[in-house]
Amino acid sequence: MGSVKLDGQVQSEWRWLIAAYLFLAGVGGGAYMTGIIADLAGGNEWMLVSKVGVCLGLPCVLIGTFFLLADLGKPSHTWRVWMKPGTSWIARGTIIIVIFMVLAAIHTAFWIWPFAGPLEVNESARHIIGVFGAIFGFLTVIYTGLLLGYSQPIALWRTALLPVLFLVSAVSTGLMAIMIIAQSMGVAMAQLDIMENIDAVLLVFEIFVLIVYLYNAYRTLESRPSAQRILKGPVAAYFWLGVVLCGLAIPLVLELLGGHGAILTIGALLGLFGGLCLRFTILAGGIFTPITAAGFEFARIHRPKDPMPAAGKLPPT
Amino acid sequence: MARYGMVIDLNRCYGCYACAMACKMANRTPPGVFWARVLRGEMGVFPNSVRQALPVLCNQCEEPDCMKVCPTGATYQTDDGIVRVDKNKCIGCAYCVMGCPYGQRYKVDEWKSYFPEGLPLSPYEEHTKQFWEQKSGSGVSTKCDFCIDRRAEGREPACVQACSAKARVFGDLDDPESEISYLIKTKRGFVLWPEVGTQPKVYYLPPR
Repeated sequence: MGSVKLDGQVQSEWRWLIAAYLFLAGVGGGAYMTGIIADLAGGNEWMLVSKVGVCLGLPCVLIGTFFLLADLGKPSHTWRVWMKPGTSWIARGTIIIVIFMVLAAIHTAFWIWPFAGPLEVNESARHIIGVFGAIFGFLTVIYTGLLLGYSQPIALWRTALLPVLFLVSAVSTGLMAIMIIAQSMGVAMAQLDIMENIDAVLLVFEIFVLIVYLYNAYRTLESRPSAQRILKGPVAAYFWLGVVLCGLAIPLVLELLGGHGAILTIGALLGLFGGLCLRFTILAGGIFTPITAAGFEFARIHRPKDPMPAAGKLPPT
Repeated sequence: MARYGMVIDLNRCYGCYACAMACKMANRTPPGVFWARVLRGEMGVFPNSVRQALPVLCNQCEEPDCMKVCPTGATYQTDDGIVRVDKNKCIGCAYCVMGCPYGQRYKVDEWKSYFPEGLPLSPYEEHTKQFWEQKSGSGVSTKCDFCIDRRAEGREPACVQACSAKARVFGDLDDPESEISYLIKTKRGFVLWPEVGTQPKVYYLPPR
């Protein structure tokens, strides 16, 4: 095969807007799932944590969908995504996030605001809605990984590890968002400690998944340029500073030290920023597999060494 | 019904980019959009190296991945096997750009001039822009359609007509007597990336 190093064509359609959506959907779905788990397992003692989690579900995903709409070429035609739910993950995903938002809205409206009460009294109804909501929250988080995995030419995304990575990051960032808000609302210190410990475990697991993911990407010939682009290419700054330092290392250390107050807020905010960087890193690292024919490898760009000058710009005089 | 396909003889192609330019003229594509492109490959280490040009265009697959991932059904196949985009149904999500194994999908936000911003459009550009908006539209995904307008007039696709090496042959794959069926059968015709299972209808003949 070709021994010449090819500059692969980098995908340029999905960037910060989509990364912001992936991140917000992760935070919303993850926080909602965490809230439901706190409600089911913790009962009345964990009421505040649970309510914060449920409250975060709808607004985060809703804001995220606006980022999605902003990325569309024709936002006015968005309703058409309902036309073919059969095979496309975008169509399925739209159904998933709409159902999730409806369930989260019902849950929030009848438990917290403005019709607080009905679900407070009827605990089993609340649990049923919560479980269904959590299922769709789970789907909201992982379907994006499946969506990216359906892309044939981008080997970095074609892996079953991506939904796992998104899931772990979503629950972790969702928990961080809950911690920030719950702390400002005066949650018990003991509960904060427990949440910090759980998040630390999640962060360790996320580090593990990320290492396996990138190792796997590096060992696969098709996705090696992507791994190189992430580890030492143009995306490396986002990866090492954003994901590794801000998103994983600092929050992990701060959570293990068990600080409260401003320290916890800073750690969690950095962790959230890291979650956004993780999504962007994965998107920006996507490189199209070169085409092979008759023993030759062909980069997908016209002339890798001689890029066309950007059209529509005046040359320097 | 015909099932249109194309054969590109890599032994004949010498990479002159005439197909890319002819496509641009026939379809009035904006800057950066190449429905027909020429890729360059190299095998071996200098001085024992060989260079090869690979003209690529939409493969008009039988089982197109771009159609599978399209959430709105904007991507459809005509009776003669051409994969097209309905500009009124496309929402511009760019999923097909990610899904096409051959990278032959282009999402075009708006038609742009080749010339610096601020200059008034020339009459040719006015016509070009109008043509593009009418046929492909802006904010949507666009792709090669084997020059559907030219074929309606009974002419060959622009890239086929422009090929100075006569490396491209356009024809009906269903007709066993057609030139392209003959070439594929007798000259070891192959398709790009058959593993993805999209059953492309653009065949290549080996370079030597």
